[in-house]
Order: sequence, then C-alpha cells, then structure tokens
Amino acid sequence: MAAATPSSLVPDRAMHHKRPPFWRNVGVLKWVVQIVVLLLVIGAFWFLSTQALSNLDDKGIPVDYNWMSGPANIQLGEGIDTVPNSAGRALWSGMVTTLRLAGAGIVASTILGVLIGLARLSNNWLANRAAGTFIETLRNIPVLVQMLLWFAILTSLGDLVNNDPETAANEESGPIPGWLYISKKGISLPRFFWADGFYQWLVFLIVGGAIAMFVRRRIQAKQNLVGGTAPTASVPLAIFAAFAVVGWFINPVVGGIGNVFDAMESAWGSIPESGMRIFLSVAAVAAAALWIKRFLDSKRSPAGLAKLTDDDYFRMIFAGVAALAFMAFAWRVWPGGASWLINSGSDFWGWLGDKFGNGRNARPLDGMRPTINEGRFSNYGPTGWTMTVFFGSLFLGLVLYTASFIAEIVRGGILAVPKGQTEAAMALGLSRVQALRKVILPQAFRVIMPPLGNQYLNITKNTSLAIAVGLSDVVQVGQTVYNKNNQTLAVFGIWMAFYLICSLTISAIVNFVNGRLAIVER
Amino acid sequence: MTDSINTAPATDNLDALIAANAPPEIPTHGAVDWMKKNLFSSISTTVQTFLFITLLVLILRWLLGLIFDPEASWDSVATNMRLLFTYNYPADQFIRIWFTVGALLTAVGLTIAAWGVDPKLSVKKLGGNLVGVGALIAIMGIIAPASSTIKTGMIVVGVLIAVLGYGISRVLGEQKISFFPFLLVVAGFWLAVLWLVPFGRNEFIDGAVSNLPGTINPSTKIPWTILILLFLGSVLAGRALVTVIKPQALRLTMIAWWVVGPAFLIFLVLRDPQFDYDKVLRTDVPWALGFAIIGGAILYWLAKPGVGEIGRLFAASATLFALFNWVAAFAGWYSMLQKVRLSFLVFALFALAAPTFAGERSVRLKFVYAWVGTVAIGHWLITGINTVSTLDIAAPPFLGGFTLSMVIAYYVMLASFPLGIILALARTSKLPIFRLLSTLYIEFVRGVPLITILFFFSIMVNLFLPGGMELAELAAIFLGYALFSAAYMAENVRGGLQSIRVGQYEASDALGLTTSQRTIFIVLPQALRVTIPNLVGQAIGTFKETSLIAIVGGFDLLNVAKQSIPNQPDFLGQNKPALLFICAIYWAGSYSMSRASRNLETKLGVGTR
Amino acid sequence: MTMTDTALSEELASRRDMIECVGVKKWFGDFQALGGIDLTVKEQEVMVVLGPSGSGKSTLIRCINRLEVHQEGTIVVDGIELTNDLRNIDKIRSEVGMVFQQFNLFPHLTVIDNITLAPIWVRKKSKVEALRVARELLERVGIPEQAEKFPGQLSGGQQQRVAIARSLAMEPNIMLFDEPTSALDPEMISEVLDVMKGLAESGMTMVVVTHEMGFAREVADRLVFMEDGMVVEINNPEDFFTNPKSERTQLFLSQIL
Ligand SMILES: Nc1ncnc2c1ncn2[C@@H]1O[C@H](COP(=O)(O)OP(=O)(O)OP(=O)(O)O)[C@@H](O)[C@H]1O
Ligand SMILES: [Mg+2]
Repeated sequence: MAAATPSSLVPDRAMHHKRPPFWRNVGVLKWVVQIVVLLLVIGAFWFLSTQALSNLDDKGIPVDYNWMSGPANIQLGEGIDTVPNSAGRALWSGMVTTLRLAGAGIVASTILGVLIGLARLSNNWLANRAAGTFIETLRNIPVLVQMLLWFAILTSLGDLVNNDPETAANEESGPIPGWLYISKKGISLPRFFWADGFYQWLVFLIVGGAIAMFVRRRIQAKQNLVGGTAPTASVPLAIFAAFAVVGWFINPVVGGIGNVFDAMESAWGSIPESGMRIFLSVAAVAAAALWIKRFLDSKRSPAGLAKLTDDDYFRMIFAGVAALAFMAFAWRVWPGGASWLINSGSDFWGWLGDKFGNGRNARPLDGMRPTINEGRFSNYGPTGWTMTVFFGSLFLGLVLYTASFIAEIVRGGILAVPKGQTEAAMALGLSRVQALRKVILPQAFRVIMPPLGNQYLNITKNTSLAIAVGLSDVVQVGQTVYNKNNQTLAVFGIWMAFYLICSLTISAIVNFVNGRLAIVER
Repeated sequence: MTDSINTAPATDNLDALIAANAPPEIPTHGAVDWMKKNLFSSISTTVQTFLFITLLVLILRWLLGLIFDPEASWDSVATNMRLLFTYNYPADQFIRIWFTVGALLTAVGLTIAAWGVDPKLSVKKLGGNLVGVGALIAIMGIIAPASSTIKTGMIVVGVLIAVLGYGISRVLGEQKISFFPFLLVVAGFWLAVLWLVPFGRNEFIDGAVSNLPGTINPSTKIPWTILILLFLGSVLAGRALVTVIKPQALRLTMIAWWVVGPAFLIFLVLRDPQFDYDKVLRTDVPWALGFAIIGGAILYWLAKPGVGEIGRLFAASATLFALFNWVAAFAGWYSMLQKVRLSFLVFALFALAAPTFAGERSVRLKFVYAWVGTVAIGHWLITGINTVSTLDIAAPPFLGGFTLSMVIAYYVMLASFPLGIILALARTSKLPIFRLLSTLYIEFVRGVPLITILFFFSIMVNLFLPGGMELAELAAIFLGYALFSAAYMAENVRGGLQSIRVGQYEASDALGLTTSQRTIFIVLPQALRVTIPNLVGQAIGTFKETSLIAIVGGFDLLNVAKQSIPNQPDFLGQNKPALLFICAIYWAGSYSMSRASRNLETKLGVGTR
Repeated sequence: MTMTDTALSEELASRRDMIECVGVKKWFGDFQALGGIDLTVKEQEVMVVLGPSGSGKSTLIRCINRLEVHQEGTIVVDGIELTNDLRNIDKIRSEVGMVFQQFNLFPHLTVIDNITLAPIWVRKKSKVEALRVARELLERVGIPEQAEKFPGQLSGGQQQRVAIARSLAMEPNIMLFDEPTSALDPEMISEVLDVMKGLAESGMTMVVVTHEMGFAREVADRLVFMEDGMVVEINNPEDFFTNPKSERTQLFLSQIL
C-alpha cells in the first residue's frame, strides 16, 4: 500500500499534523469567548455593586440586615400581626398575607376556571356563549384595572356601623347582624378555627390515616389475587373515622410529644456556630463530590469510561466551583448565617413543642362569630372569618382574571385528547365515568398541567399588585419599611428571595405532579 | 402517472355516491328548531339553560346598574377625554397629535394593502352578528335599571339593528362582500356616529365644566373625519402602489417604517425639538458624517471575503474599545459624547457581523448602506431626543394617558425583541457558560413580579451609577420593563428555536455556512415564524401590563382614571366611570389584537405546521 | 490495508487520494460507533458503502465533512487534515457536498434561493452569477420549471434533486450521499439515481451510502461493507456480489438480495 501512495502526499500529511494556532483553533476559541463574556458579566456586577455600596456608604446607610430585629414603628392594615414589634415581623406578616392571597387565589381560580372551561365545551348554546364571553372579556382587561374597579365597587358598599343621625341609631348593619356582614369594610362570617388541641388531634389523624392506607393496600392486594369487589373504601374510611372521633376526646394523651420537640429545641440550640459552618462546608463538598461521582458513573460502561467532552468537564468543574462558592458564602460573605440557621432551627422546634405541648385544652376545633371593634372588623385571631375589601378586591380581580385563562387551558387540554380515545374506551366497554377517569383525564391533565402551573406562578406574582389598593402584602410592607429606614437594597433582596422561593416551590410541585401523571399515563 | 388517471374517476364516483345517498336536508323551522337543538335537547341542557338565563340576567342587570348608577357622573369621562388620551399635551399644538395619528393610520392602510389583506366576508354571517347585537341591546334595555326613556331608547335601537341585520341577510343572502366595501360601511358608520349622535359637548372652559347639548365637539369630529377618509384613501393608494412596485418592496418599507417611524413621530413630531442649528452643523453633522464615511469604508474592507483573522481581531478590539468607553465614562477618565459612545458600540457590532455578510461587491455595498442608514437615523433621533422641546407642558412628561401606555408598550416590545433573541440563542447554544448565564437570567426574572422590578429601577438605578450620572425615572422604568420582558420574549423564541429540526442545522453546516450565517439566514426566519402567535400574545400582555406604570408613578391611562379624575373638584371620588371606560379601551385594544393575530395565523397557516 | 490493495485496480491506484481515513475512531458517550476505520477514496472514484442498520455508515460519512467530530485517527480530505482549525473546517465544508436522506431543504426559501444561498454567502459569488449557475443546475437535474416554488410544493424526488443541485452549486470536489433514496416512493427513486449516475459519469468523487444494489453494481468503482463500526470488506463490484471474501458479507447479501 505504502508503495502505491503517491509520495507527494507524505510530506503534505506531516505538515498538516501539527496543531492549528490557537487563534484559529475552534476548541480553544469557544472557551476564550465564553470566559471573556463571563468575566465581562462578573466585572459589570462587581463594578455596579461596589458603586452601590460606596453610594450607600456616602449616604450613611449601613448595608446589613440588623434592622430586621429593630423596632418597626409601623401599623399594618391587616395581617397576622397588625402592630408588629420589629421590621422583620412586619415583613413576615406581609409574606403570610401574600401567601394567603396566592393560596386562596389558586384554589378559587382553579375551581372557577374548570367550571367555565367545561361550560365552554357544553353543547348548550347559552352556556357555551356565556363562558366564551366571560373568557374573552376578562382576559383582555388588565388585572390591575380589574382589581381597582373591584376596589371602587366594594368600597361603595354600605357602612359597617350605621350612624343614621335621624334615628340616632348606632347599630351594626349587615344582612344578619352578628352573623353575616357585607359592608365597605369587607365581608365577615362566623368560622371554625384550630383550637389548642388541634395539633394533638392531628397526630391521631396522621396515625389513623397511615393505618387506613395500610389496610387499604392489604385489601387491594387481596382483591388483586381473588378478584371481585372488596371494601377498599369503606373499611379504611371507618378506621380513619374511628381514629378521628377517639382522638377528638382523648387528644391530650399524646401531649408528651411536645417534650420531644422541646428536647430537639435545646439540642439544636447547643450546636456550636463553627460546628454548623464545618457541617455546611462538608455537606457542600460532599454533595459536589457525590454529584461528580454519579456523573462519572453515568458515563461509565462495561467498555470503560466514555470520552468526556468539554461540556462534561465544565459540568464537573462547575459543581466544584459551586461548592466552593457556597463555602465562601458561609464563611466570609454571610458569617452570621450559621447562627441564624441554628437559631431559626431551634425556634422551629420550640414552636412545634409549644403546639404539641402538655396541659392544653382538649377541644381541637372551635367556632367564633365576627367581632367588631371600633367600627372595624378584627381580622385574624379568634374571631369570625373576615375578608376585607382590600383583600376582597384583589382576590376577585385575581380569580376572575386568572380563571379566564385557566378556562381556556382546560378547554384546550380536553380538546387535545383525540376523539378516537373516547371511542376506543367505549369500544372496550368502559362506562362513561370510567372512560373519563381512566382514559380522557389522564391525557388531558398532561396537556393542562404545564400551562396551569404557569398560571399559578402568575397568580403568585400578581399578588404583588396588592400595593395598588393598599393591602399589606410583602411588597407594600417592604415599601413602608424602606420608606422609614432607607434600607431599599436589603428590602429588595428580601422581596426577590421570597418570590423566587415561592416560584421555585410552585414549579417543583407542578413538575412533580406532572412527572407522576406522565408515569400514570405510561 | 397511470395511477393518478385510475384514481381520479374513482373519487368522482365516490363523491357522486355520497351525494346520492345523503339524507335529505331537513327543512328548518327557524328559531323553534334551533332552540330545541341548542337549548332544550335534554333535561340536563334545559336545566343548564334556565340556570344560565338566571345568572346572566343577574350579572347583566348588575353591570348595567354600574353604568346607569345615578351617582356615577359620566361627564367625568366625557370632559376628561383629552386628559385620558394625551394628558397634558398643549391644546394649541394638537395638530401634531392629529398628524401622528394620521401617519399611523396611513401606515396601517398601506400595510393592509402591502400584505394583500382582503378577506371575503359573508353577508349572512355579518347580518347574523347584527341580529345578535341588536337582540342583546334590546334585552339590556328591558332589564336595565334605568329611566324609562333610556330603556325604550335601547329597545328601539336594538330592534332596529336586529331588523337591519335580518334584512340584509335575507336580501343579500349568500353573497360575500370583499374587504374594501366592508371598510367603507364601517367608516360610514363611525362618521354617522360622529356627526349624528348627540353625545353632548363636554369640556372644561376656564376650569369649569361645560356641558352643551348636541353632537361631539367640532375640534374632535372634524379631524377624525379627515383621518377616517385618509385611512380609506391610504388603503386604495396602497393597492394602486402594489400594482406599480413589487409588493415585497412595499412590505420591507412598511416593516422598516414600523420599526423606526414611531420613534420619529414621538421625538420629532410630538416633542418638537428646538434644534440649535449652529451646534447641529458644527458637532452633530460632522460626527455623523465621520462615522458614516470612515466607518463605511472600514466596514467595506472588513466585509471583503479574504480578510480573515485580521478582520476578526479588528472587530474584537473595536468591541473592547467600545465597551471600554463606558468603563471610562463610569470612572470619569475621559469625556466623550454619549452619542459617540453609542455609535462606537453599534459600529463594533457591525464590525463583528461583517464576516457574516461578507461577499461580492454588491452584497458588501448593501451592508455599508445599512450602516450609513443606521448612523443617519440614529444620530438624527439622538439629536432630537437630546434637544429641549419647544412645547410648554404643565406637568412634565410630555406624553401621558393612553399615548404613554402605547409608547411604553411599543418600545418595550421593540427593545426586548433583540434582547430576547440573544437570550434564547444563548440558552439553546452548545456553549455551557452562555447557557448557564442565560438560564440564570431568564429564570430569575421570570421568578419575580414585574412590579418589584419596576420599583427597583425607578428608585434604585441611580444608586448603582457613579456620582454625577443619572437616568430619568421614566427611562429607568422603561429599561427595567424591557429587561423584564426580554426574559419572557426569550422563552417564546426558544419555543420557536426548538421546533426547528436538526436537519436544518446539518444542511447549513454541510453547505459551509458559518454559525452566524446559519442563525440569521436559516434558523431565525423559521423560528420566528413559528413564534408569531406567541409574540402577539406577549404584545397583548405587555400592552395590558403597562398599567403597572401607574403604581410607580407614571401618568398612564390607569393613573389618570384612578388618580387625576377623582381628584378634580368637579368630579370628587368619581372613579368608577373612568375605570369602566379604560376597561373598555384596554379591552378593545387587546381583543382586536388577538382577533387580528388569530386571522393572521389562519392565513399564514403558522402554528399548524 | 491489504484488502484495499487487492480491490484497487492499477488504474485507480495511480490516482490521487481524495479522502484518506487512518484509524478513525468515534464514540457517542460510551458507545463506540466507529472502531478504527482505514479507508482511501481516490479521485473520481465512486465508493458505495453498505452495511446493516447501525453499523456506522452515516457516522463515517458525517465525520468526513465534520458534521461529527472524530476522536482518534486522522481524516485527510483533498490534502487538508480535519482538525479544530477554523480555516480547515471552512475549506472542507465548501469542498465537500452532502445530500441527506431527509433532503433538509430550507422550507422558508424558494428553490432558487435554496440553491443560491451558499454560493452567495460562502463562495462570495455575485448574485447574477449564482443565479446563472443555479438555473444551469436545475436544468441538469431536470426541474428548471420549479425554480420559484417552495420546497413544500415539490414531490420527494424533486426535492431530493433540488438538494443535489444545492450541493453542486458549491462546486464541490467530493459528494457524500447518505441514503438519498430511502425516503422516496419507488417511482421517484430512479429519477434521483439517474441524476447521481450522470454525476458519476462526469467524474465526481462520490461516497454513497445506499441500499440500491442495482446502482451499486452498475456505478460503483468499489464497495465497502461495514459492520459494528468496522470495515469488513472492500471489494470491486463483481467480486463483491459474486464472490465475497468474508462470511459476514455473504450473510448480508443473502439477506438483502
Ligand atoms: N448522535 C448520536 N448519539 C448517540 N448515538 C448515536 C448518534 N448517532 C448515531 N449513533 C449510534 O451510532 C451507531 C451508528 O449509527 P449510524 O447512523 O452511523 O448507523 P447507519 O449505519 O447509518 O444505520 P442506518 O442504516 O440505520 O442509517 C448507531 O448504533 C446509533 O445508535
Ligand atoms: Mg444512516
């Protein structure tokens, strides 16, 4: 062969065998460009933040979070604590209000959206058209405008206390005074709430639930073997009900759990700060090492380790850098973090200890009628269930707006299941309900879930519009706080962290459910 | 070939067979049959029907109650139209507003003609719609909690409309009308509304509300009459134009206009800059010429096919220099006109793009023309923006109300578009650091609410700038909004990018296209076409969310309605009418956009591929 | 190497090497797709690559114009070694044309724009010149009247011929074909094969992956049989079909013929 090769090629090949110069080497260039851009981004960040820090320094505003525990001197319109004793507590109250609004909004708009989506699919002309009009009207008007309109409408409702100068009556107004109020202050109803014995009772519910589930599994396993009908629902339900009823009366029995939690509190509190830091660092390094090992394992096969690409190396390096960055954060950037972790951990156990502690009232649930205090509702705490006009207008705006989107999503999802699926299910002899449950819905859900998750994220983010009507959500409270103490940057940090955590949590839940549904479908 | 000959008659037979065996059409007995089929087909639908009737009557009555509320003063809206739409724009300069609206309407007309929009509308359907609208108005007249004159008026009008609709659908029947006659009818309708309907003449005269009877103020209806005629004329003119020049040319012109034109209108027409011609001639023109000529020459050289690494090196150093100019500005090392800094940056971008557009002489010349055009328009606009205005405006931002909402929406979309594309490309790229940075940015921005970002930018931006540098609040808000919007834009574009099959990439590579050529000529055109429906959706969202500007203090449509009007002594606390009115405006804007995009979608067949 | 020798006729052996692969190995993750390929394609030669599905045929020819990057060994195309060198990659891409099984035309461009795009932007030709060449090529592949249509409006056979014209417009020295007729209806296959035959007669160096045995027997100078990422046999058409050297080839042929 060598003899047959034209001799002219030999020097040629030798010449081309050397590596290309780096400025023409694609493998080098792509990393150079990326690293230059990365450095530019980091540089811009570094530059802007030093600028901000020095500007703050010039204005004499310290950059730390110590003000969180300082006195607040603010009063909130509503929330779990309307006269908070610290700025941190005020923000916490705002966060709870935001979460309540988001949670209530998610539940209500899902229900309403599904109903309207189904109406949109109805073969009743009127239902179909009414749903269509609802959707097309509400989704095309900005949610903020809707909220403000609701606020305008709700605040023009009647007074809570009727001060008619002619009759000189000073009486509570409302459809059913003492039980139901609808007024420009809001709506109030009697309600049940968790009383002192609730947590002990919860233990019974959990244990009962677990046992019921276990029994159900056993019955089902038996049914799978033998066939026929078995009491898969009634027996477990009876067990659960028995636990609930018995627990209602004897719940103080398990009060001892509180001691366990109290012990956890003191144990957690006695962790030394450096120990915590070392633990965090070791955990970070271990996590990175474990990740890299898993990654390499995934590349390994009986034939040996795969050829690793640049990208693979980057991932491993990145894992290492992330661990180091975390360590730097724990030791240098936020040295107080470890003790914060220790304190809040032990506070958490202490809170549980309180809730489960001994010597409590036996009744798990209690009821209360609305109470009016100086012409206002007392909201939250042991009183009736109240929705203020602030909360109400926001809630109505959010729910109606989002429901119009959810309705379209539901409709689209159900229409996305091919008609052949229904027919096939019917052909197999499934009943309508069975077909819906086992064939149509699982497939529709898979289409519906991702955009639905997006709507949940939107609701959560749109709660921030509370500031337009003055509801004390986390944004409004934050603004009040930084107007008082000029800690704008710090408050922004809290906002961002709070919303990011909410968003990530919702995404995680949606992804989890979606994953489950995908498996169900397979 | 033989195959097709054999199959053709077979299908014909099949059609005939189907036609012959089809059940005879059941003659319809009109309304009763229709109701039986659609409303009372079974017990459950009957129950549904009654349920929905009750519900609808209750809701409608309540809504009408809001409108006919004796305490609601609709004068508060009628008198404040100017405030709602143009805020404090001086009345004696209103000709500029009319000119702007006229320019936009003309452009809409030309655009319609350029894309040959000419749907055939079925008269029967239009008539049916009219019957529906008429019936609805009549029903509302029956249940409205209003005075009996209004009620009878509504019923009469409703019945008239319904009869008209029924009449035309009976007389013209199966006919289809084409688009222009339809436009004529609509225009005629609006002209009639303008000139005949006695809305009353509401205005502030010397600060006091005056409410004369009669039709709308001539200062409103005369310009609108001209504008409506202008619009019709522009459609006709555009159609005539398309027969002379290539439609493709007109389309490109219109796209260019829609990108640049509004900026021109806003900063040169609405704002009326008071050019200092001495400075313009001595500073601005020389700089622009310098950039155009020297830059053009360099770009001509850079776009030569054989330049190779030297060209790349030059472009890279030009980029570094352009970035360094800003570092120097922050650090205060040397001063430079902001315009010059910007020009250097744009030049650097062109230099980086040069190898992509390298080619034979004519190709290169086109590239240079693009640069000269960019310099000319850019410098002109920057000079206009940076020059003081001749307008005497009571409360500063020269735009407010609806105009501000539109402007912000427009610019946010425009600015976030390139940014979103870059982010999307980075997120789908094979380069891990780019992917990481882009993903972090997008997920962070999408995780936090817009309002916090707007607050951040309206309060905080100046904190991050070195002493002496400042950004106007509105500009800061706009910047924040655009950066926010870009993350969503990126996700939309990414959807389009993912719809492109690998084969397209491989074929481009096999032909020897560079990565950027592949992206510009092959990938983006296809991806963006798939993205159009989502982009329109985002445009609608952006338009709606401009209302958030009201929270951070901008005087947009919402802020006028919720703040300015209820604080006027004549209309203290009157917020409901104005809010209802802006609901209608926002609704009309978003709804028409979404309808238009749906029609466009079916026409282009995008999204179905 | 010895196998290559016997298959080479005197005349072929005297020609220049257009493609030379030495010990080419390629992994996808931990899966080895090419296990050391040694192969030489001579100038103006038509080489047909055969082998069962998954044997690495596509991977091999995709390595030749660097759509895939090989990890070990060397590939020299027309005297240029494939390395990370920016310049070499650009050169190779415009010297080697490739035709895909799925045509991969650009759906948003008309036929004529599909063909002129690369000559204008990569070869830096003037538009007039590019258009002239494009029309000539369309003539050559037999569809001059389809120039202004979009790919979606053409039949599969027409699309594949446009794809061939598109590659030829770059005036490549080497053409690679990856199962160009596999996605076509039977009656369209011959029209594409005819174009390929014409190309072979005009003296183009071609590497063709195909299952069209008639074409292979008629047009190929040499046949390569691959299995599991290895070259099993290289032979001239006659010997390959009538008297193959390896058992694996025999088995393959008995299954396919
Ligand atoms: N991008 C890729 N990632 C992972 N594995 C791949 C990739 N491309 C190809 N392979 C694997 O490499 C092997 C060879 O693939 P190749 O496409 O070259 O086969 P082929 O001989 O062309 O087969 P066919 O006749 O089916 O086209 C196959 O096992 C395939 O699964
Ligand atoms: Mg293959």
